[in-house]
Amino acid sequence: MSAHASHAPKRSGIADWLTTVDHKKIGILYLIAGGIFFLAGGLEALLIRLQLMYPELQVIGAKTFNELITMHGTTMIFLAAMPVIFALMNAIVPLQIGARDVAFPFVNALGFWLFFFGGVLINTSWFLGGAPDAGWTSYATLALNQYSGFGIDFYVLGLQIAGLGTLIGGINFLVTIINMRAPGMTFMRMPLFTWASFVTSGLILFAFPAITVGLVLLMFDRLFGAAFFNPDAGGNVVIWQHLFWIFGHPEVYILILPAFGIISEVVSTFSKKRLFGYSSMVFATALIGFLGFMVWAHHMFTTGMGPIANTLFGLATMLIAVPTGIKIFNWLLTMWGGQIRFPTANLFAVGFIPTFTIGGMTGVMLAVPPADYQYHDSYFVVAHFHYVIVGGLVFGLFAGLYYWWPKMFGKMLNETIGKWNFWTFFIGFHLTFFPQHFLGLMGMPRRVFTYLAGQGLELGNFISTIGVFGMTIGTILFLVNAYVAAKSSKRAPADPWDGRTLEWSIPSPPPEYNFAQTPLVRGLDALWVEKMAGNKGMTYAEPLGSIHMPNGSFLPFIMSLGLFIAGYGFMYHNYVVVGIGMVITFGCMLMRSLKDDPGYHIEPDEIDEKGVKA
Amino acid sequence: MGAHVHDEPRKPKVKHDGAKKHVIAFIASLVLTALAFAAVAFEVIPAGFTVPFIVGLAFVQALFQLFFWMHMDQKGHEFARISIFAGLTFILIAIIVFVFWVWW
Amino acid sequence: MATHHVNAVLPDEPEKATLEGKNKILGFWLFLGGETVLFGSLFATFIALRDQTNGGPTSQQLFEMPLVALATLLLLTSSLTSVFAVLALHKKDLKKMQAWMTVTVILGLGFLALEIYEFMHYIHMGHKMTSGAFGSAFYTLVGFHGAHVAFGILWILTVQLQTVKKGLTVVTAPKFYVASLYWHFIDVVWVFIFTVVYLMGMIGGKVG
Repeated sequence: MSAHASHAPKRSGIADWLTTVDHKKIGILYLIAGGIFFLAGGLEALLIRLQLMYPELQVIGAKTFNELITMHGTTMIFLAAMPVIFALMNAIVPLQIGARDVAFPFVNALGFWLFFFGGVLINTSWFLGGAPDAGWTSYATLALNQYSGFGIDFYVLGLQIAGLGTLIGGINFLVTIINMRAPGMTFMRMPLFTWASFVTSGLILFAFPAITVGLVLLMFDRLFGAAFFNPDAGGNVVIWQHLFWIFGHPEVYILILPAFGIISEVVSTFSKKRLFGYSSMVFATALIGFLGFMVWAHHMFTTGMGPIANTLFGLATMLIAVPTGIKIFNWLLTMWGGQIRFPTANLFAVGFIPTFTIGGMTGVMLAVPPADYQYHDSYFVVAHFHYVIVGGLVFGLFAGLYYWWPKMFGKMLNETIGKWNFWTFFIGFHLTFFPQHFLGLMGMPRRVFTYLAGQGLELGNFISTIGVFGMTIGTILFLVNAYVAAKSSKRAPADPWDGRTLEWSIPSPPPEYNFAQTPLVRGLDALWVEKMAGNKGMTYAEPLGSIHMPNGSFLPFIMSLGLFIAGYGFMYHNYVVVGIGMVITFGCMLMRSLKDDPGYHIEPDEIDEKGVKA
Repeated sequence: MGAHVHDEPRKPKVKHDGAKKHVIAFIASLVLTALAFAAVAFEVIPAGFTVPFIVGLAFVQALFQLFFWMHMDQKGHEFARISIFAGLTFILIAIIVFVFWVWW
Repeated sequence: MATHHVNAVLPDEPEKATLEGKNKILGFWLFLGGETVLFGSLFATFIALRDQTNGGPTSQQLFEMPLVALATLLLLTSSLTSVFAVLALHKKDLKKMQAWMTVTVILGLGFLALEIYEFMHYIHMGHKMTSGAFGSAFYTLVGFHGAHVAFGILWILTVQLQTVKKGLTVVTAPKFYVASLYWHFIDVVWVFIFTVVYLMGMIGGKVG
């Protein structure tokens, strides 16, 4: 109850970043951490492709190859793609709904640190006896002690910690979007990216508990001698497959829906047109999210569930093509007759549409159970999911980064480098993955570390590896671009793209309180409505006043560190270490509960001053 | 309600339910529980029907508690309902699949 | 925002009086939706594995009705007493609220003691986590619930401590309300545990 300070305890440098609860800074943290894991996962991919460049190569051994494919998949899905999505959600969603902050700033920070320490824990396996090597799906019995190394323990514990972070991050965004919208921002006026973030967060909420249970069961089997997946003691390996995919399939939509949201924003802005069929887009997003929970067993057609299950899950899967098709046509019709510009953001968005459509069509092919018996575990599947995840999600993320970079960092990315980035990455991508369809149809199985000469597989594999160099160059160009932008002294304007939504009504980067006055939203594309009405900016829903802000805290960092320590304790069966870690974590929780955060206030005179400065 | 009218000049915006409703929910829960136990203990209904019967009782009791004790019946709980029922729907599908398509 | 008006008259439904309070309650309901999936996954696993005793004792040999009935009664009553605590909260009667919540905690401790006794008894009979898939599934599902009860007890105690120190405010009320939601949810899960694990185990019928 102590009188609330009107100023935050000023922390600077690294202490500021470790304690921040500001969603914009947490967004940047997610981007940096996710970006580093993306580079690690990319390096793993490069090594995989080098090994497969020619028949019977021995660049890396078979064991290392298994570790690389496992870590490539795990890293890209959990530690690179999801965090970069969270980076954009953090940076943009509160701005798009006219909020000063997220609903739970502390929980937001905790979510980031849990993900970060979980990711670090998994990757330390490289130095502590070998990385996990049972594939990113870690199917039992292969993942049990008898058949796999120590590395799986890192996978099991690291993903539990990181998954917990993702789950609370998802809850935070759901509450933020439900409760923190500015006056007038009804659900049907929310920008599509916010809608996609909302549905994605819902999917996170319902999907992650299933993988948590799966991982706990696997952990009990591996560490405590339980028998869930041990057929000798009555266990059943299909249970792992079900639990993994009950999570794993919604996870696919967790990844792709935010990309759909980004593409919708970018295509609409750069066509200078309102998004075509807004309400059908919202409906399609929600429907994809809902159906996403009904289709998981299409990953298990060859397990032996029988014709009834296969038919039901195959049909449900094909249904998803309908709302997805609606989206594709809506984007095309948004561009139809628009004044289209092609900055890099829109290049990636327009490149996304045909690429993703190809991935979607191979998806429908895979949804046909009898045909899937042919495609299953072949490179056709590898080609399919890279078309949707790289050609879909990663293109979407690049579009989003080029589009929102000025809002996040206050600097524009260079367009010339950007165009080189797009074309090298785009061409490299198609060179890499298009031949893989045919490799798969010719019978090349996935997850093999080499192949023989004279079976017609040489050319496809060689082209595929050449393509990876294109994607590598594209990624390096992006890093160069970010560096050049950081070094440049030119500041980005508040509204560089002639934007339509609320985030473009405030300075780039926004001040810590986002909106000096909460805006009043008077329609879809809130800023565009005001522009059309001839207003200079938003009208406001409140007079200038004192703004309450939460204080930063070290607790999220320390709390996550506690679980990180406990994780090692479990792996090495050292229960003193488990105890220490748990005491740290629960101690922090107790402190957080007992000590109220009074926060601090920013007074109107400071706002004026800062508003001008920013 | 009436007891604190003096220190609360304003009319309460929300009508608070009394203890009665909750005691009724408690008794209902007890009866439902007793029925389930009795169905198993005395085998009063055909054996093949017992499982659906007691699972049905469990759902009725769960709804009682969610709506009365956890106030899910009240206004402002729209997202609470969506959250619980969406989670329930998704996981019920999974449970059905686990019943039929784990062993074959 | 929240700490301003401690001395002012407490509003109706103090747990929802501030945006922080509203966020907390909504966030917690969403969390409970996730918990539904969590427990549902454990139930699904248990249902699939409940006949796989691997030569160990079967559920018909293990479970005894009086013990389960007593545990059920304890938890059900504790759920009712925590409703009374929330009613007292709405009447802004701090003393009564604390008293009912203390009763809740005592009943919860009784439940936990019964469960520990039960587990030790089963282990003596050769029903262990490692004895087979049925054992693993049983201890994981029922143990997860027991861990939730134990965490709930600790949680309610820390909230109690805060209401002793700070009284009933717009900051402590949402914490209190959320803890009681959690407690009810644990009871709802138990309804399915006694039905699916114990009663169905005693019939020994196979689903489907």
